[in-house]
Amino acid sequence: MSFNAEHARSQLLEFIVNSYMVDLEEIPLDESLIDEGIIDSFGLVEIATFLEKAFKIKVSEEDMIRENFGSVNKLIAFAERKQNS
Amino acid sequence: MCGVFGIYAPGLSREQIREQLYLGVAQLDHRGPDAWGCYFSDGMALGHTRLSIFDLADGHQPMITESSALVYNGEVYNHYELRRELERDGVVFHSKCDTEVIQKLYEKEGPSCLAKLNGQFAIILWDKRNQALFLARDRLGMRPLYVLERNGALYFSSEMKAFDAIFPGERAIDPARLLDHALLWNTLGRDTIYRNISTVASGTYECYQGGRLTERKRYYEIGEQTRDGVSTLSFDEAMEAFKSKLDESVQLRLRSDVPVGAYLSGGIDSTVISSLVKQHKQDLFKTFSVEFEQAQFDESRYQRLVSEAIQSQHHPVSISSETLSENFLNTIYHCERPIFRTAPIPMLQLSKKVRETDIKVVLTGEGADEILFGYDTFKELKILERWSQGEGAAEIDSAISNLYPHLNHYADPKQFGLIKMYYEGFLNSFGNNFVGLNIRMNNNKIIQNYLNKDWGLKSDPADLGSRLDATLPNNFTDWSLLQKNSFLEIKTLLQGYLLSSQGDRMALGNSVEGRYPFLDHNLIEFVFSLPDEYKLQGFTEKHLLKQAFAEQIPQDIIDRPKRPYMAPDIAAFYRGGELVEVAEELLNPAKVAEYGCFDEKMVTRFLRKFKNGVPDHVGYRDNMIFTFLMSTQACQYWIHHPRQQPLDLDKCTVEVFEYH
Repeated sequence: MSFNAEHARSQLLEFIVNSYMVDLEEIPLDESLIDEGIIDSFGLVEIATFLEKAFKIKVSEEDMIRENFGSVNKLIAFAERKQNS
Repeated sequence: MCGVFGIYAPGLSREQIREQLYLGVAQLDHRGPDAWGCYFSDGMALGHTRLSIFDLADGHQPMITESSALVYNGEVYNHYELRRELERDGVVFHSKCDTEVIQKLYEKEGPSCLAKLNGQFAIILWDKRNQALFLARDRLGMRPLYVLERNGALYFSSEMKAFDAIFPGERAIDPARLLDHALLWNTLGRDTIYRNISTVASGTYECYQGGRLTERKRYYEIGEQTRDGVSTLSFDEAMEAFKSKLDESVQLRLRSDVPVGAYLSGGIDSTVISSLVKQHKQDLFKTFSVEFEQAQFDESRYQRLVSEAIQSQHHPVSISSETLSENFLNTIYHCERPIFRTAPIPMLQLSKKVRETDIKVVLTGEGADEILFGYDTFKELKILERWSQGEGAAEIDSAISNLYPHLNHYADPKQFGLIKMYYEGFLNSFGNNFVGLNIRMNNNKIIQNYLNKDWGLKSDPADLGSRLDATLPNNFTDWSLLQKNSFLEIKTLLQGYLLSSQGDRMALGNSVEGRYPFLDHNLIEFVFSLPDEYKLQGFTEKHLLKQAFAEQIPQDIIDRPKRPYMAPDIAAFYRGGELVEVAEELLNPAKVAEYGCFDEKMVTRFLRKFKNGVPDHVGYRDNMIFTFLMSTQACQYWIHHPRQQPLDLDKCTVEVFEYH
């Protein structure tokens, strides 16, 4: 099954809306969720766990860099790369 | 300890002023349940409620001489020495009380007398000769003094509830200042979160004449003695000097005509203070502690260890989830501001426990974390500074993973990368004037999403930054990153929260006076001037304190990981998946809409997150949001339902009318 980025993005956004009490339109797609004050460090851990469950991927220590976690779009791109690898 | 109240309103009639004064004073009974008194002159009045500590028979207030009338809340510990100095100059005293020393000193020297006082105080003095009102607060702002301006009249009080009794329902939250408070855990300078209510800033005096402000001056600022640069003492010399200064500070704070006890948290700060007390008091000495039913918050093992070591008579108070939820509203009644953790609630229960014994004065360990670099923010700054300079990778990695042992995910090596990524976000901002507050502000910024959307408020770091800059001393830029952080931690978290919401208000809520040996200004200035490494050595916090007292206190206390005093937050307000009554009443959509501070949809959505129960591990942020929502709603509750305490006429010891 190929990775549907649009669908994955909605899933992630829904998780963020429900977990961090922000409105959908308030979530920037290309900005860091930390810098925007939407999540704290605990939120990063929760998002990593969500990605693992939702997209059946394994997040390893070396994956945990801003290039992968620095925005919603980066998270989706990371999940896609991970699933395809 | 006491409550003070004053009115300066040349436009009001004598009857109006009298009526208002009695209403105001009655609300401060818990601060001074032993007696009350009042003084009236044309266009002004002073009121006082007394908790007798010195000269139980003669120290009644207002204290009135030919030239002044004084109400005073606090203690000046060096009053014996100041009295002798004044007596040498021919001043005659009629009581043994520190109040009279302050009054005579002011009459002789004017506002400059403040520089001689070592203690904690809020003063309102009517200068009859100049027909002027003089207000002052101690250097650290341990004792409160609020000012309400209303229709050209001025009202002064230890607590704002006295204003509510005179003008029920009028106290109103200022949305922009509420956001400041949400970000910093305190408002800046003279601000409060309420419209038309300011605070006399710490270390500052104000003079009023003809019904208006004529002078406002800062007489002390933290770090003022470090203009000559960092101390050149060796570590051993510094350690010896520190020990003797702290011991001197403890001895000064044991001066009292009633017995003195101590709070024992189980951490190093209160252990050191209690051990020093024991050296000077051979008689039975009482210590008091908070114990929790939930093991993750409980420190009773360490508390008992210390109590046994110093052979104190120990009095623990046990806190359950029910204690927290049942005493929530009453806690906010006393602290009058939103809180971010429920930790003040047990402190109110602890002071209640104290009053069940014969103790009404306790020594506590506040201030050590701020002056000796105990908080994690100091380590975070050190990490960020080194990281930005690209050095010490291995040491920094281990320092990050050892931070916050109470937050489980930090200790998990697998999650290390995530945490590192989190801190990396602060690399660009840590060097601005907010230093360690950047992280707190960033974590708390989420609160703005919950505020009433009609307010249109968004955190504005540039605006907040320029208002912060206006409060900084001109030698701020000369200090190290960690000294700057020490200054700001003192100005925000310590003064605005730990000493007030969690300190003064929770102790005086049950008529107990706290005294803080680490916050003697001579000690603060000495420690402030020492090299950073003496305080935070590598990533070992409070190094100087640990080394200085290694021989005197149990090794287990020195070795135990640092742990902040905390209580259960959200978890205490849910039973079987349902909000407990007080939370349901404060957070239901109708009440949220009625009080107008928050967005109903956001509050409802937040609570929905816990509809299937509160998970075992709730993050800092959710606990903080919940406690902030609840406590802000509770502030509004008390504004809408002010308590009206009656005046007990039998307790009046002074009532003087001096009309012309």
